[in-house]
Amino acid sequence: MAAPTTSIRLTRTALPTASRALARPFPPALRAYHSYEHDPTPPYPPTETAILSDALTHLPTHGFTHESLRLGARDAGYLDVSTQLFPKGAFELVRYHLVRERLDLKERVQFPDNGGKSLGMGSKIRTLVLERLRANEPVVHRLQEALALMSLASNIPPSIAELARLSDEMWFLAGDTSVDTSWYTKRASLSSVYAATEVFMTQDKSAGFAETEQFLDRRLADLRTIGGAVGSVSQWVGYTGWSAINVLRSKGMRM
Amino acid sequence: MPPSTRLLLRCQRHARPQYTTLVTVGKRGYAVASTRPEIYDVVCVGGGPAGLSLLSALRSSPITSNLRIALIEGQDLQRSRLHDASPSSYSNRCSSLTPASAAFLKDVGAWQHIDSSRIQPYHEMQVWDGVSGARISFDWDSASALPFSSPKQNAASPASSTIAYMTENLNLTSALLARLDELGGVSVYDKTRVEDIQLGEETDNLDLRSWPLITLSSGKTLAARLLVGADGANSPVRTFAGIDSRGWDYERHGVVATVQLDGHGWGGDAVKTAYQRFLPTGPVALLPLPGAFSTLVWSTLPQHAAHLKTLSPPDFTAMVNAAFRLSPTDLAYMHTLPSGQASELAWREPHTPFDPQHISQRITDVQPNSTASFPLKMRHAATYTGERVALLGDAAHTIHPLAGQGLNQGQGDAAALAATISTAVAAGMDIGSTLALESYNAERYQANNLLLGVVDKLHKLYSVGSGPVVWGRSWGLRAVDGVGVLKGFFMRRAAGVR
Repeated sequence: MAAPTTSIRLTRTALPTASRALARPFPPALRAYHSYEHDPTPPYPPTETAILSDALTHLPTHGFTHESLRLGARDAGYLDVSTQLFPKGAFELVRYHLVRERLDLKERVQFPDNGGKSLGMGSKIRTLVLERLRANEPVVHRLQEALALMSLASNIPPSIAELARLSDEMWFLAGDTSVDTSWYTKRASLSSVYAATEVFMTQDKSAGFAETEQFLDRRLADLRTIGGAVGSVSQWVGYTGWSAINVLRSKGMRM
Repeated sequence: MPPSTRLLLRCQRHARPQYTTLVTVGKRGYAVASTRPEIYDVVCVGGGPAGLSLLSALRSSPITSNLRIALIEGQDLQRSRLHDASPSSYSNRCSSLTPASAAFLKDVGAWQHIDSSRIQPYHEMQVWDGVSGARISFDWDSASALPFSSPKQNAASPASSTIAYMTENLNLTSALLARLDELGGVSVYDKTRVEDIQLGEETDNLDLRSWPLITLSSGKTLAARLLVGADGANSPVRTFAGIDSRGWDYERHGVVATVQLDGHGWGGDAVKTAYQRFLPTGPVALLPLPGAFSTLVWSTLPQHAAHLKTLSPPDFTAMVNAAFRLSPTDLAYMHTLPSGQASELAWREPHTPFDPQHISQRITDVQPNSTASFPLKMRHAATYTGERVALLGDAAHTIHPLAGQGLNQGQGDAAALAATISTAVAAGMDIGSTLALESYNAERYQANNLLLGVVDKLHKLYSVGSGPVVWGRSWGLRAVDGVGVLKGFFMRRAAGVR
């Protein structure tokens, strides 16, 4: 009887690690900003990382399901029960996929610093979004499962937080250094564009996701239009405010 | 002026002690003290229509004619005079003078020097929406007076049927220069740039600390009791005074040209009409000059303006004719053609319905080398006056040309500033003091701000190409056209008559 012995051996090796991991389920809260001074903290402890990354290899066949998680745990040499490390179950797999691809982005996309003609902010963002979407390609036929899991009520807050982190990462990599209210509007608008494009991608059957690319370009063009309109409205409001003050001053009011 | 200098200037002003002393300790070796500045009551920087009108008004009034006046102009003033007065060639820089501006020019005695054969009064305006075709026509006969106005007020509306006078800017500056020559007494420094403006120093017998000292490119230094900035949109005087100017660029260019019509207009020489069509890219206007000539002002996208300037005369002519007749869609397509607009128009026109009587006669030719373009913007200075500084004309405000009000605003400023100076002189005040200048700013600022706002909103309203905005504005235009009282109100405002 080969199977029981295997499982006993597995239990012995897995338990100490797993209990340590349970005592410290997740690393302390991640830094909410980018730092050049500190190395980024890994998002998951080693055991979870091992199980989840092995589970990812089963995504194309089993999708974002408990089954993939179970097979991943086996591949990593743990018991099926170690999937209890993940109270959110299959959603943890979704989150791992998102976090991994987000952190991978900085390795996959690098903009030359000193190239005579550096890319504009718009084209940098476009490149980053496309590159991040391309990372979905191997699992794109399963992506709707992920979106369904993310839309469950209890999963919405962490999903939105992850989306926010992704759009922050993209602006950071594009070299955005704004410190005014546009910091928020940029991230909010990129999040909405990214989310819409990702949903579109799940339906896209065109070769090389050409239609997704066009969809993204249309959304980015919309953003520019809206941004231009918001810019001119605020300029107009500023001008009108000042001219009201100037008219009062011209009439001899001290202000 | 570099920012650091400006900062220094302002610091000097604030650091100025609150007492005056004529005792100086020790000997000061300032460069300013060694070359004594020439002292003037009024130094006007900029010899454009606004500046010249102000000086003519000051010189022609017995109250202010004793002021010492200097005029500084970067260009040769000979170039501001009309040299080629042949009736077959007109300058492309034309303006419409409202009856109020004309009355002011008559008052200062410049109107009699204007070449009246080159001035064209017009009596009617046709304005229509390029998208919906809604139309309004302005003429004094169809406009009625306000119902509650007294007969005296009715008499105040212009007796003649003239809406405005079209004149070349050169003709106007030429007349103003002739008037100044006749009056004399102005020290003219033309072909001279302003190198620097600084506040003066205190010397043994002269305290010029609040006086602007103007250093000229010739090396001369002038001290001004009142420094008038009539020096255009990028006014160095405004920069010296530290007055902000706010506004925006329209991202449109104005294309101007002198064109020749098929005839002398539908009403002949007796009744001339100005035409303006609002296209989503900007208004295109054709304003009558004497005879068969007209001046074109077409505000459009910068790339369209650049393309129009490259077209051959027949194609350019076809584009202008198309701009008054074809739909915005057809026009947009014709802008994409590198050439051949003339034949394109020939087959498109029969398929577009329009009433030829309501549109200007066909353009047959464009005067060689008269096509030019300039960027359109809106700017308004925060105030027109400062300590010993007054701003005038484009230095104070820049307006979209769609209502043809830019030059008239400058004339209004000149009249108001001349009146303010005259009051100050009569009351024995220092004409450079902020107290004396206050009434100029009070009188002009709100009026100009209102006009800038209305013209800006018209531009924004008509740059919409479709949808409810078009229905609303078309309804509004037809309503104003139908109600004579409303129309009369707008016409009196535009003419400068209250």
